[in-house]
Amino acid sequence: MAVKTITGDQAVAYGAMLARAEVVPGFPITPQTIIIEQISEFINDGLMDADFIPAESEHSVMSVAIGASAGGVRTFTATSSQGLALMYEMLFAAAPIRLPVVMAVANRSLGAASGIWTEHNDSVPVRESGWLQVYVESNQEALDMTIQAFRIAEDRRVMLPIMVCLDGFILSHVVEGVDIPEQAVVDRFLPKFSPVNVLDPRDPVMMNPVTPPEFATEMRYQQDRAVEAARVAIAEADEEFAALTGRRYGGLFESYRMDDAEYALAGLGTWAGIAREAVDQLRSEGKKAGLIKLRYMRPFPGQELRQATLNLKSLGTFDRSAAFNGYGPLFTEVRNALYGSGIMVTDHIAGIGGRDITVETVRDMYDIVERSARGEQVRDCTWHTLRGEMQ
Amino acid sequence: MRSMKDVPREDILTHGHGACPGCGYAVTAKNIAKMLGPNTVVYVPASCLVVFGALYPYSAWKTPYLFTAFENTGAVTTGIKAALRRRHIDATVVGMAGDGGTFDIGLQALSGAAERNEDIIYVCLDNEAYMNTGIQRSSATPFGAWTTTTPAGLEVKGNRRFKKDIARIVADHDVPYVATLSVAHFTDFVRKVQKAKEMRGFRFLHCLTPCIPGWRIEPSKGVSINRLAVETGMWTLYEVENGVPRVTYKPKVMAPVTEYLKLQGRFKHMGEADVRTLQAWLCEKWRANYGEEAPSPPCVLPPKEEVLAHDGDTLYGI
Amino acid sequence: MYEIRFHGRGGQGAVMAAQTLADAAVRSGFQAQAFPYFGAERRGAPVEAYARIDTSRIRTKSQVYRPHLVVIMDASLVELVDPTAGLRPGGKVVMNTTHRPEEVDLGAGVDAECGTVDASSIALEALKMPVVNTAMLGAIARVWDVVPMGAIVEAIEDRFGSKLGHRAGILNAEAARMAYDATAVGRTIGHREFAKERRWMPVWDEIPISVSLKKTVHDEEEVGPATTWQHRTGRWKWSTPLYKKERCIKCLRCWWSCPDAAIVRQDDDYMRWDLEYCKGCGICAEVCPVDAIRMVPEEEGGNP
Repeated sequence: MAVKTITGDQAVAYGAMLARAEVVPGFPITPQTIIIEQISEFINDGLMDADFIPAESEHSVMSVAIGASAGGVRTFTATSSQGLALMYEMLFAAAPIRLPVVMAVANRSLGAASGIWTEHNDSVPVRESGWLQVYVESNQEALDMTIQAFRIAEDRRVMLPIMVCLDGFILSHVVEGVDIPEQAVVDRFLPKFSPVNVLDPRDPVMMNPVTPPEFATEMRYQQDRAVEAARVAIAEADEEFAALTGRRYGGLFESYRMDDAEYALAGLGTWAGIAREAVDQLRSEGKKAGLIKLRYMRPFPGQELRQATLNLKSLGTFDRSAAFNGYGPLFTEVRNALYGSGIMVTDHIAGIGGRDITVETVRDMYDIVERSARGEQVRDCTWHTLRGEMQ
Repeated sequence: MRSMKDVPREDILTHGHGACPGCGYAVTAKNIAKMLGPNTVVYVPASCLVVFGALYPYSAWKTPYLFTAFENTGAVTTGIKAALRRRHIDATVVGMAGDGGTFDIGLQALSGAAERNEDIIYVCLDNEAYMNTGIQRSSATPFGAWTTTTPAGLEVKGNRRFKKDIARIVADHDVPYVATLSVAHFTDFVRKVQKAKEMRGFRFLHCLTPCIPGWRIEPSKGVSINRLAVETGMWTLYEVENGVPRVTYKPKVMAPVTEYLKLQGRFKHMGEADVRTLQAWLCEKWRANYGEEAPSPPCVLPPKEEVLAHDGDTLYGI
Repeated sequence: MYEIRFHGRGGQGAVMAAQTLADAAVRSGFQAQAFPYFGAERRGAPVEAYARIDTSRIRTKSQVYRPHLVVIMDASLVELVDPTAGLRPGGKVVMNTTHRPEEVDLGAGVDAECGTVDASSIALEALKMPVVNTAMLGAIARVWDVVPMGAIVEAIEDRFGSKLGHRAGILNAEAARMAYDATAVGRTIGHREFAKERRWMPVWDEIPISVSLKKTVHDEEEVGPATTWQHRTGRWKWSTPLYKKERCIKCLRCWWSCPDAAIVRQDDDYMRWDLEYCKGCGICAEVCPVDAIRMVPEEEGGNP
């Protein structure tokens, strides 16, 4: 095992290379670009046997990926923000056609009032596209999950495309020491790609013709069940990867100091690392704070969250995007999952448009959650670091 | 294959599909598919073809078939070919798109695939408007034509723009083969499809495919009207092979455009001035394509330049 | 509330018929709605259109499953669909056919007041085109007294007039009047058993994934690649090709030019028409250089 000091983007590229992705369409967009640059280098240095296809826009990137996956080869790509939005339409094609494309998304603000900095309003809104979504906390996890993503996506019980999301700049451009697994280890973990349906003249298949109302409901339900089936594949992948590398991530989410926690926060991405710091500080002050590092947005671990929060008095959710319903989207999902549990749930929006999140910010979140545990009246949604009074 | 006689009997786009009676797409796609044969993967974007060729759970195509969206024929076929190549499967990948999905919304993906010289055959079935969605204009719609978004109203009568020259745009990407086809010009058609089948790299086949309801013509004219399209200059049959352009059929006589217009309801509202404008455009096109003065009639010869004075310099050669 | 269902073929104007009926109802003081079965209507393919008429506001927008009135715009549809499915007791039928009501058989269990009219001939006479929608509206007024003929005529003149021109409005209204006068009213009682169309309707965990199918047989139906042969599109045609083999020079142009692959090139290069799929477009007759093919009205029959 070699340890290299690399960025999150590079780590993802190593993951794709070790996973032996064969077709990689790509288009530049900050902060994902390093992924495709690194892959291009691997290919041109003879280290990766793959075709890099410089498509002329992200919509074409996903279209090429769909064509290649339908053609029967392991396909990988990456994008961010505007690029993800541009391929929006095609996301909704890849999932029902059950093509196990793996795509890294370096989370970046989408749309106006922003630029190239981190926000989750690119990937979270497409959680209804049918893609699986996993969010990582470190460069190591980015590499490891890229590899695991192929395993989960290609599982015959699943057969769905998957997004591996990493916070733009905070991971994509920050170097960390990352363990690069041996190719032999990855080969043991990841079997050869064996698709269910392939475009091959020797065995013709009609793939996604226009579909009338008589069939669509059943197909969509089938797809919904496949997302559910991913739970098992996710748990198995986590176990087996741990057995081979020693690194375990907990599957759908990781519970940190939750055993006797009275109150906790749940959230996605690098925020979780800062939250660990906050929890450790709070614990050293005698407070029974815990953390749920949520990893998968889809499948959404509703039942599992209920189990993990049974003894909590209150829970806060961390949202790195607004849903414009007065809350953020993760809050809406979590509160739905905890309906009837009696737990007070509050929402905490921060890090919008790349604004930095510090331990202090997260401690403010915990403070509100603690107060709500004590029965105090608190806002149910707080925009942290906002200048000016909330209404 | 050199002529119709050599074209296989086996149908690849089989009967029972839902095309309108007389559909130009159907004839053209049928014949191209026959010639490409069963060792082919077909991609069809949103178009009439996608609606009449396969509706779950039935498909008229014998070959593997995929549909996803409207604008991405150049891109999806790129991906399919890349996969087949990596799997060492030597099969033709063909995309069959309409004019909307090629000239307009599909232009970006087309340009990308052409520029990368992807090893695919891109067939544009051109019925000169967005027919599947109910006859709206595209940049392939000829000057003067009625469509639902260029209606013949009280003040403005029909389309005001001229048809985009897509074949030339594609040829400017330096691809191995670009050709214009007409299903009514059988031998020319067969030769060109055969050539495309044999070559490698990006091959673009631009076919004029009449639409019965969209052009408002008799169903029986669905093939033969193409002959008039060529005779009038509304369509030119040529190919560009490795950068070398060559006209493959030149009419002996230029028919006046009125002969073509009068058969089609989509042109019947055109006034004299617009017909003259269209004729003039065609005459210029004739000259540019065939490298000779357009015949008069129906074109007007450029006036002879009168020389009024001479300053004695023999260089002027008068 | 009254529910009306129109059965037609793409290009016969079923949608416009439903809309015009709704328009006429509104002019008569009713609330009304009309809409098609949303699909891609191609010329010739079976289509359905619906209308609802009521004295109070109509809130539902689902398809019509239990019509009070069924309008069959093309007699050949009876072979393809079950047009009277769900017809309410006391419901009425209006049909475009040369037969009288007593001669029409819409299937065992059908017992309904029925109006028949040769709308195709009337349309050809009045409009020079076999677009039967306005003629059918006249026939409806004759059989069904909910929407008065006067309102129907007014709606036709207005809608068709503004879409196609004043003269078209007048002529279409005339077609409606001619049909009104010519409609025979009687009773239709059905006897025959239609073969139940077997259609594959899988449950969710039976459907192969990926919206994909290889060629397979399910419930006696073939699905997947090259399975449209099960759609006998030859039923669409109203004219049919007649082949004079003795004149044929085996140039292959008809075979080449057929959009529907309905002309079979024999081993000796003579041709055989597969009338189950021929839509009667007439291209073969048009491209034949030696007049070996002629289009004749469907009743005269082509040769196999």
